[in-house]
Amino acid sequence: MRKSSVPGRKNSAYLFLAPAASILLLVLMVPIFNTLRLSLFEWTMRTLNEPPVFVGLRNFRELFGSANFRESVRVTVTFSLSVVAIELLLGTILALLLEGEFKGMRLFRTLFVLPIMIAPVVVGIMWRFMYHPSYGKINYLLGFIGLGPYGWLSNPDLALRSVIIADIWQWTPFVFLLVLAGLQGVPKDVIEAAKVDGTNYAQNLIYIKLPFISAVLGITAVLRLIDSFRSLVVIYNMTGGGPGVTTEIMSIHLFKTAFTSQRLGLASAVAVMLLLLIALFASVFIWNSLKGERR
Amino acid sequence: MNVKKLVSIVVFIAISAVVFSGGAAERDVREVDPPGGREFEWRQYEGTTLVFNFPNHVHYNAMLESGVLDDFEALTGINVEADRMQYMNMHDAQVLEMSKPIGDYDLISMVVMWKAEYALGDMIRPLEPFFDNPALVLPDYRFDDLVPAYVEVTGIAGGENIYIDGPGASLYGLPFGSETSFMIYRTDIFDEYGLDVPQTYDELTEVARFIYHEVPDTYGLTMRAASGHHATHAWLLHASPYGAKVFDDNWEPAFTSDESIETIEFMKKMIEYGPPGMVGFTQDEEFAAFLQGDAAIYLDASVFAGPAKDPAQSRVHDRIGFALHPSQRTPLAETGGFGIAIPKNSQNPDAAFLLMQYLTLPEIERRIVLAGGAPFRMSTVEDASLYDEYPEFEVLADQLVHANADWRPIIPEWGEINNMLGIAINQALTGQKTPEQAMQDVYQPIRDVMIRAGYLD
Repeated sequence: MRKSSVPGRKNSAYLFLAPAASILLLVLMVPIFNTLRLSLFEWTMRTLNEPPVFVGLRNFRELFGSANFRESVRVTVTFSLSVVAIELLLGTILALLLEGEFKGMRLFRTLFVLPIMIAPVVVGIMWRFMYHPSYGKINYLLGFIGLGPYGWLSNPDLALRSVIIADIWQWTPFVFLLVLAGLQGVPKDVIEAAKVDGTNYAQNLIYIKLPFISAVLGITAVLRLIDSFRSLVVIYNMTGGGPGVTTEIMSIHLFKTAFTSQRLGLASAVAVMLLLLIALFASVFIWNSLKGERR
Repeated sequence: MNVKKLVSIVVFIAISAVVFSGGAAERDVREVDPPGGREFEWRQYEGTTLVFNFPNHVHYNAMLESGVLDDFEALTGINVEADRMQYMNMHDAQVLEMSKPIGDYDLISMVVMWKAEYALGDMIRPLEPFFDNPALVLPDYRFDDLVPAYVEVTGIAGGENIYIDGPGASLYGLPFGSETSFMIYRTDIFDEYGLDVPQTYDELTEVARFIYHEVPDTYGLTMRAASGHHATHAWLLHASPYGAKVFDDNWEPAFTSDESIETIEFMKKMIEYGPPGMVGFTQDEEFAAFLQGDAAIYLDASVFAGPAKDPAQSRVHDRIGFALHPSQRTPLAETGGFGIAIPKNSQNPDAAFLLMQYLTLPEIERRIVLAGGAPFRMSTVEDASLYDEYPEFEVLADQLVHANADWRPIIPEWGEINNMLGIAINQALTGQKTPEQAMQDVYQPIRDVMIRAGYLD
C-alpha cells in the first residue's frame, strides 16, 4: 500500500475510530472484565449491600471439585456437538433437496422457517406438553402401535436426547436457510461446464458445491455452536436441568448458581469457564474452516 | 410554531396525562364502613401511595376478587399499587429492590423460605415497634387468633434458632396465603373398593399399591418430584412423619440417616404406583394429575383444596374427601406458603403497617376466604357454620395441631442446600444412584456450605 502523503492522516483515522471503539469497549469489555473480576470474589445476593470479599481462585477450585459442575460441562459438550452435527447434516440435506425451483416452494420455505421465529419459552412449553407422559401427543401416537408410555423428560436415559430433538426441530431451518443461500451462490456456469464434462450429481456435490459452500458451513457451525452453548430458556422450561443433572447444561448451572444458590462470585466463575469453552471450540471450528478455505 | 400546532400539542399532552395517570383520575371516593365498626383514625395517611408486591397465587387472587383493596383505598384515602408477579420471580425482584437505599416496595409478600434471609440481611422491619405504637394498632386486632404455627413459620426469625421461635427472635411478618398439608382423596374410588382412608404411611403405601393394580386407569398418589426444589419439598413433606431431618441439633447434616433413606424408599414406591413420568412432576403437574382424575390421592399443601373443589378446574370436584396427613413415627405436617412484611427501605412504613393489619383483620380474612383464599385465623378454621361449604376446614382445624414450623431448616443458605438435596433425591428416585449413595454424595458438599456460612468449624 502506498504511504499517505497527507500529514496527520493516520491520526485522524484513529480519531474517527475512537467513538466506535470506546462504545465497543464499554459495552463489551467492561462486563467481561467485571465478570472476570467478580469470579475472584465471594458475593451473594443476600449481601448485595456489602462489598464482595476477595477469595482468589477459591471459586474455581470449588467448581472443579463439584461433581455437578463437571457433569454440566459433559452435558454441555454432548448437547452442543450433537445438535451442531445433526443440524448441519439435516440442514444441508434439506437445502440440497429444496434448492431447485418448483411450484409452492416459496410457501414451503416460509413455513419451514417458522420454528426459528417462535419464542424460546413457547418452544420449551410446547415440547414439554408434547413429551408429557400422560397427555403428550408423542406417547399418544406411539400408543397406536403398542409402545410406551415413555417418560421422555423424566427418564435419565431419554431426557438429553429429547432435549436435543427439540433443539434440532427449532434450529435446523436456520442451517437450511444459510446453506440454501450458500448453494444459490454457486456459479451455475461451473455446474453446467461440469455436466458437459460428464459429471454426475454426487461428483457435482462433492467436488463443486460442498467446496463452494464450505465457508458458509463453517460460519454456520460456529454460530450454532456458540448459540447452543448458551441455550437456556428451552431446556429450562422443558426439564429445569433434570432428571438429576442429566440435562443441566452450563448455562442452567450458571443460572441456578446465581439465582437459586445466590452466589454471584461462583456464578461468575461458571460464566468464565463457559466463555473459555465457547472460545476454545469456536477457535477450533474457525481454524479448521480457514484451513479449508486456504486449501 | 403556529397556534394551531401549539393547541394540538397541549390537547395531546392533556389527554395523555388523563389516560396514563390512571389511579389519580379514578380515585375511589366511596363511603366505606370501617371493618367491625372500629373507631380509628383511618385517614391519617390519606394521599399516600403504597406499592404492594405479591404473587399470582390463589389467595392473593381471592384478595383482589373480594374487593378488599378497593375498600381499603376508599376507607383510608391511601392509593395501593398492586405489583403482581409469578412467585418464582419475586425473590430476585425483591432482593434488588430492598438493596437500594430507598425502595419502591412498601409491602411485600414473601415465601416463607426467604424470611430468615430477609430478616438476617436487615431487609425487612421487625413488627414489634409498630404493634407497640397505640396510634397505629387497630382496636381489637386479635393477634392471638392468628394460627400460631403460621405466625411462627411466616413471621418469626432471628435469634438463636434463626428461622423459628427462640431466644432473641422477633416478629417480621404476618401470615397471608399460608398453608399446612393434608390429604385429599377420591371418595368414589374409596367407597367402591371398600378402602379405608390411610392413617399411617404403611397404610398409604398399601392403598396406593392396591389402586395402581386394581383400579382401571387410575394411579395411587400424585406427588411432585422434579429435580431440585420440588424433589426436596416432597422429601421433606414425608420426612417429617418418618422422623428424618436435614440437620441435627448441632447443624451437622443428618439426611443420611435410616429415617431419611426410608423416606426415599417410600417415595420410590409412590413413583412406581403413580402416574407415568411422575418423577419429573412439578407442583402444577402434581395438581393436574389429581384434577384430571388420574391419581386417587393427593397429599401436599392445603391450599390445593380450592382448585380441587372448583368445577371449572377439577373433573373430580364432586367426589373428594379430606383427611389428616398420615403419620408414621410422628404426626407432623408441613407449614409454608406466604407471609407479608414491610421492607426496611419502604418510604411509607406506617401506612404499609396499616394495610398489613387491615388485610389480616378477622372480617377481611373472612371475605378473602369466602372468595377462595386460604384461612389463617383460628376463628375461621374452627367456625362450624362454615363446615358444610368448606369441609376441609374441619380437617384443617385438627391438622393445625400437628403443623410443624420446624419441618424445613429455612436458614439464609437454604436455597443452595435445597437445590443440592433436590438433585440428589431425584437421582435416587430415577435410579441413577441408590438412596444411600445419593445422600452420601451430597453430604460433604452441604457440610461445606455450612462450614462456609459459619455454622460448623
